[in-house]
Amino acid sequence: MIRPVLVRRDRVLPATQSLGFVVGILVALVLGAILLWVSDNSPAEVYERMFDSAFMGTDSLSRTLERTTPLALTGLSVAVAGSMGLWNIGAEGQMMAGAIVATGVAMMADGLSGPLLIAVMLASGVAGGMLLMLGPALARSHLGVSEIITTLMLVYVAIRVVEWLQVGPWKDPGSLGFPRIEEVPDQASLPGLFGRVNIGALIALGLLIVFSLAVSRTAWGYELRLAGSSPDTARYAGVSLRRKVLTALLLSGGIAGLAGTIQLTGTEVRLTPGLSNGFGFSGIIVAALALMRPSGVAVVAFVFGAVQVGGQSIQTLGVSSAISDILQAMILFGALVAAVFFNYRIRWTGPVGESSGEELEEPDIAVEGA
Amino acid sequence: MAKKFLLKLLVVLAALTLIAVGCGNDDDAAPAPAPTQAPTEAPALEPTEAPEPEPTEAPMDDGVIAAFVFVGPVGDAGWTWAHNEGRRFAESQTGATTHFAEDIPEDGPDFRNIVVDFIENEDADVIFATSFGYMDAMEELAGEYPDVVFEHASGYKMNEDNFGNFFGRMYQPRYLSGMAAGALTEANQIGYVAAFAIPEVLRGINAFTLGAQRVNPDVEVHVTWTLTWFDPAVEGDSAAALLEAGADVIAMHQDSTAPGLAAQDAGARWVSYNSDMSAFAPDAFITAPVWNWGPYYARIIDAVASGTYAPGAYWGGMDDGIVALAPLAADVPADVAAEIDEVAAQLIDGSWDVFTGEIRDQDGNVVVAAGETMEDGPMLGMEFFVEGVVGSATG
Repeated sequence: MIRPVLVRRDRVLPATQSLGFVVGILVALVLGAILLWVSDNSPAEVYERMFDSAFMGTDSLSRTLERTTPLALTGLSVAVAGSMGLWNIGAEGQMMAGAIVATGVAMMADGLSGPLLIAVMLASGVAGGMLLMLGPALARSHLGVSEIITTLMLVYVAIRVVEWLQVGPWKDPGSLGFPRIEEVPDQASLPGLFGRVNIGALIALGLLIVFSLAVSRTAWGYELRLAGSSPDTARYAGVSLRRKVLTALLLSGGIAGLAGTIQLTGTEVRLTPGLSNGFGFSGIIVAALALMRPSGVAVVAFVFGAVQVGGQSIQTLGVSSAISDILQAMILFGALVAAVFFNYRIRWTGPVGESSGEELEEPDIAVEGA
Repeated sequence: MAKKFLLKLLVVLAALTLIAVGCGNDDDAAPAPAPTQAPTEAPALEPTEAPEPEPTEAPMDDGVIAAFVFVGPVGDAGWTWAHNEGRRFAESQTGATTHFAEDIPEDGPDFRNIVVDFIENEDADVIFATSFGYMDAMEELAGEYPDVVFEHASGYKMNEDNFGNFFGRMYQPRYLSGMAAGALTEANQIGYVAAFAIPEVLRGINAFTLGAQRVNPDVEVHVTWTLTWFDPAVEGDSAAALLEAGADVIAMHQDSTAPGLAAQDAGARWVSYNSDMSAFAPDAFITAPVWNWGPYYARIIDAVASGTYAPGAYWGGMDDGIVALAPLAADVPADVAAEIDEVAAQLIDGSWDVFTGEIRDQDGNVVVAAGETMEDGPMLGMEFFVEGVVGSATG
């Protein structure tokens, strides 16, 4: 029987990858047009509205950037862990942990002036994210416990903690019995840049640049990638794996915590159980599409943000939320599939005797070498 | 409708087959830049005839454009479904054009974006938002768009010009549904699947319990919190757990039909909520306190059309028809059914209301003295459970 096997391409140029990204999205748009037509919507009208509300005009662009900021930070969070082969599935929870600690600090220190309070809150948000990651990081580095499970489980713990805080100790007495936490002080709002964009976008951009350089250009980053791709070599070269795992995961948690704090002080007014709003989970897709490279995260986050903003807006044309969700998923899926095919090629393996021995050595699993 | 869909599907399949049979080496030949034609939409100022879309049976198009933002899917059969029925009713009554968006999260930028889209792109004159969590954003938007009317369900904020809130005295039909449930429980244990410990939900549980106790003083109402408005799996599991623990009737403050399905599976009974859900679990169904938003929506749209809109904090009861009781199951005893009708009449003519003393809380403290009736303020901020409720009033 003839079977397809995916084989990693030897060398993939960044230009080829970007092309793959674009082709994937175009194919998805074509398929999406069919979906829209079948569901009695006008593809031209819908795509025009998507494009307009994501890009044209100041408010549109600012909406897309408003979403890009948390997506870029959670994408970076996942990518930092991902550069050494670790999976932080719990950025969603670390966002909450960051926002919880930052809210607590704001309650205690609301007499501080704006800039100082903001700085303290952002720092405590990073600490909060790291704190939630501490357990999974230690369990992974010292006991070998999979961080995928532990980080994911803690997401729900963090959200439940917020639910408890808002009915219990942090319930706002001024909310007429409704369980809500008090608004963060006015002076803690992040200064705006334009439209809906605040300086959180600049912080995200700065961090992306720092981490791109750190991962690709420094000895630290080299060791990180080496430890991920070949632990034995790294150990032979004198790299402490434990320390590397610990640093990568804690940084990952801290960045997600910062993302949560920027949401808290930038776009929201108070801590709620829905504050993380799925951004932490979306960050996994962003990082995967960026092939775990911090340098790619910014672009992917921007496109992802645009797809979300555009996809949501078409409901005003009468497109149902289900169709809008499917359309958004198709576009992202198209990009993901294209990324796979631009990095791997298909080789057809035949039955014994018909193929060369070399091909038979290919393992059975669909994707190898990642 | 279905025919048209099938036809299109067939065309697509045929096209795909052609592509597959043909060469298939070209991906993006067709639609990408899109065959224009769309942007000609005539905006508003042309109230004579709708261009062609939508079979709007406009009795007298008053030119108002109303947009609704829903937190759940319109197919939930519950909360959002009831609001969407209200939208359709208002549209057919007033001839206004209505739009809606569903599944819009309460937190994050989505709500704001969709409302701005409705205003900027569809020229919406009035925005109806139907979930508590939209409140802060509604307040902000009302300030930014002084010419648009903002109406918010279940919140408590408003302003003097263009931002009002509305809700219904659901506790009244809840009380009546409690009477029916109290009459039908044999175990004297009723399970109540509840979403969040907020005053609205506590008020409903208390009213239900008082109603059940009226016909059955031994009844206990066991509450579990799901911490979600709409999650069929969690709602169903919670109901199953309550049934396991000995309840033989399930009541709910949730938006899906899942608790009813769990009750029917266990051979137990069910009081649904939001809408008459009898079709989903006919053997279990007893009755339901239901919403009827349509007339209120139509009233607001008419007021906007005539320029007489003034924001308020509307809290209508059974007298206004915004809340009601669904038909009773056949096996509700005749004397109880008659008593329910009697109490309903009192609630409608205002001679009696549910929170009339003497009422004690879970700890036995008197919260409403004999002969007194609770004012709206304390009712809206209710934070306790009445005697007979088993569970924590803080979630």
